[in-house]
Amino acid sequence: MSVATSPASKSTLFQELARIVGAEGVIEHRDELLVYECDGYVIEKSLPDVVVFPTTTEQVVAIVKLCGRLGVPFVPRGAGTSLAGGTLAVGGGVMICLTRMKRIVEINLADGYAIVEPGVVNVWLTRALAGSGFHYAPDPSSQTACTIGGNVGTNSGGPHTLKYGVTVNHVLGVELVLPDGSIVRTGGVTEDDPGYDLTGLIVGNEGTFGIVTRATVALTRDPEAGRTLLGVFADVESATETVSDIIAAGIVPAALEMLDQPMIQAIEQAFHLGFPVDAGALLLIEVDGLDVGLDNQAEAIAEITKKRGGSVQKAIAWRTRKEPEYVAVWKARKSAFGAIGRLSPTFCTQDGVVPRTKLPHILRVITQIGLKYDIKIANVFHAGDGNIHPILLFDERDEEQVKRVLKASHEILEECIAVGGSVTGEHGIGVEKMEFMPLLFSPADIAAMIAVRAVFNPEGRCSPSKMLPTGAGCVERKTPGRMASA
Amino acid sequence: MNWPENEAGGFLGRGRYALATDRPESVDALRGVVIERTARGEAIYPQGGRTALDYGGVPGLPGVAIDTRSLNRVIDYPAADMTVTLEAGMTLAELRRVLAERGQRLPLDAPEGDRATLGGIFATNASGPRRFGWGRPRDWIIGVGFVTAAGELVKGGGRVVKNVAGYDFPRLLTGSMGTLGIIVQLTLKTRPIAESTAIVWASFDRGDDAREALARLTTSATRPTAIELLNRPAATAIGEPSGLPAAEWTIAIGFEGARETVAWQTERLAKELNARDCRSLEADSAEALWSRLVEDSAAKRSDYEQVSIVVNARRSAVVGLALKLDSSVWGVQAHAGNGIIRAKTLRSEEPSAIEAAVSELRRAAVEAGGNLIVSGRPEGRYEGLPIWGEPRDDWAIARRIKEAFDPRGLMNPGRFVGGI
Repeated sequence: MSVATSPASKSTLFQELARIVGAEGVIEHRDELLVYECDGYVIEKSLPDVVVFPTTTEQVVAIVKLCGRLGVPFVPRGAGTSLAGGTLAVGGGVMICLTRMKRIVEINLADGYAIVEPGVVNVWLTRALAGSGFHYAPDPSSQTACTIGGNVGTNSGGPHTLKYGVTVNHVLGVELVLPDGSIVRTGGVTEDDPGYDLTGLIVGNEGTFGIVTRATVALTRDPEAGRTLLGVFADVESATETVSDIIAAGIVPAALEMLDQPMIQAIEQAFHLGFPVDAGALLLIEVDGLDVGLDNQAEAIAEITKKRGGSVQKAIAWRTRKEPEYVAVWKARKSAFGAIGRLSPTFCTQDGVVPRTKLPHILRVITQIGLKYDIKIANVFHAGDGNIHPILLFDERDEEQVKRVLKASHEILEECIAVGGSVTGEHGIGVEKMEFMPLLFSPADIAAMIAVRAVFNPEGRCSPSKMLPTGAGCVERKTPGRMASA
Repeated sequence: MNWPENEAGGFLGRGRYALATDRPESVDALRGVVIERTARGEAIYPQGGRTALDYGGVPGLPGVAIDTRSLNRVIDYPAADMTVTLEAGMTLAELRRVLAERGQRLPLDAPEGDRATLGGIFATNASGPRRFGWGRPRDWIIGVGFVTAAGELVKGGGRVVKNVAGYDFPRLLTGSMGTLGIIVQLTLKTRPIAESTAIVWASFDRGDDAREALARLTTSATRPTAIELLNRPAATAIGEPSGLPAAEWTIAIGFEGARETVAWQTERLAKELNARDCRSLEADSAEALWSRLVEDSAAKRSDYEQVSIVVNARRSAVVGLALKLDSSVWGVQAHAGNGIIRAKTLRSEEPSAIEAAVSELRRAAVEAGGNLIVSGRPEGRYEGLPIWGEPRDDWAIARRIKEAFDPRGLMNPGRFVGGI
């Protein structure tokens, strides 16, 4: 597929790319390329032939035109925090790494938007807005590393999506470089521009339409205050019932995060927050808004928690999200995956979604699947959205174990579909979940998606073999030996 | 094929009649109708409550109307998940009734809710004052099913509130004006009904005072659900039945939420605003005013040749743009917090004067990052005014998407941007 596999053409590719971005903006040595052989999904790996770091939209245009001329596939990459192989360079080719396009172009508080380049790290925008009274609402757990370009690519979520929505709810417009080198600008600094909601369509395209080189995002008022409660429960069922009761009481929390026992233990070992390690489940419940209404809400939540047999271990009243106690609790939650590193050399985080009321069921099934395949599974999830993140612990050097992990993951996701959910709430389909698409969507649905992709990316040169099953199955594996799937 | 000369087959809008109107009782029957009609080369015009038939361009090809109102079932309403899946021919009023039984609502405004269907509301991207606090139709849709020109049922999204599998067809279809397919099924998010409601009605003598008040609202200690700017005639029509004064400029600020937060905000805002006159309405009297704020901008008049427009722009430009419209000719209601201005003529006026005023406003709106849509106009006049505003570069992609779904151009032809 790729002409860039022969040493001669690879050298041409390198020279031409260096002409566009300068030699310091291209990587071609194998040892340097190894960093880019996978993203947060470590089970499949594929080396790009080169990695190029453009700094301007014009350079991106020149790069994709060059790829077109040479017939080389290309794939965009941000920080590589994707957990589904979304940035895997399937079949090699050029990886366009956007981390050097990192300017915050404009912040306009009067009109409530910011314009950023794709390599801006999510938390940089938050920091740039500190003290302004506004923030950028999507806050994925990886926000200190992940880029806004990547967030746009995968329509990222985060713990505060229950009240504030996901990335697509906060993107007003994008600049997209198509594989033919043309530039499309959708939306803008205003709402309701006449025409289709192309911005909405492009968010979550997982790099299969082209390269997003700029995004205009909406800014949200900071809440005046908040209350963050830690509820402790004997089991996951009572914690889940508490979540449903809170919603039924007419309260829409800003966040509702749940940890199960193995997860609580891992976090406690790592951060020593005084979490009760014998608890069956822990709920992090946050309400925010005007201070005047929050005590009533917090009291109502505490009542519900007690009624369901739980207890409120901590209740933090805060005015900003920078207060130490608040930061400590959320750091523990957002570093959950890091804490897991203490339990296991490798882990695979799944990203299923079920209707919230099906949470106890899916967790029972996950426990059974863990026993069946003899795989230890810890759970941390966005309980308010029904977005589960079972973390399967394993040793990637043990091929047989890796196979069991894949089978277990597969069964968990199939059950999510069976109860009316989805196989990805915020990480994307990538390469990992392509096989599930025919289970979620009919042939007509997938044909329509392929037709839409062809509007933007007719030759399939951008992010080949991603997201949509092709049927052709011409995925070129370049690094054998570490592949987990048989 | 010729255009019918009378309404025996039904009305399509913009002075055009349908060859026939079909009212299928099921999605499969609807697919059958589409296959049969398009095989004959007839165009398909989806219809719901027929509240917006004159919105958009003139129907481009003779064809049939497909009335979706018999597709009106609730498919699934797991209230504890705060989602509802329904057939798109259901009216907004019926959905409100269903959700209210479980203490919930869809926090979207659309006029004529007893007639307007959810399919129509989403296809036309209808909205109202609550969009400031609650967002637009695109923020409430999580799943869609639609029937294409080939008679295929295509679905996108799903039934869970967080889901990134596949391309975002729910948003692509929202505001697509029936040009990609007929929306037959929707999955929407819901919210608890607010405990309490209030509207603050603040009067200003000068545009500059209103502008300053609007700027202040962007950093107010309060968190409004709606920020509406009204010129004198609009304030008269909307406020008078509630006994409210109509100043040169009025800002109506809506609050929803727990009783104590709403009370605190109305009191607080009165202190923040430097208004000549400021009063607040609560409970039932607030509800009545809300509903006039929702309905009035859509109310059509047939006793004179009415022109109506919708401008989108940066929110800081709203007052400046609104000031360009002569209040002896235009009633102006702006969703000021969102940069959306709706205006309509209040009496017959020399067409050349209207055309000049609209063209100048469009130029100014484009300069302010937006555009101007002519949402209503008498037939046979104002041919020089582009319905969908200044052409945008991204319409080229829009056209290619249209071709991907509807290569023969039979779905609601002629009605959307760039002649789509």
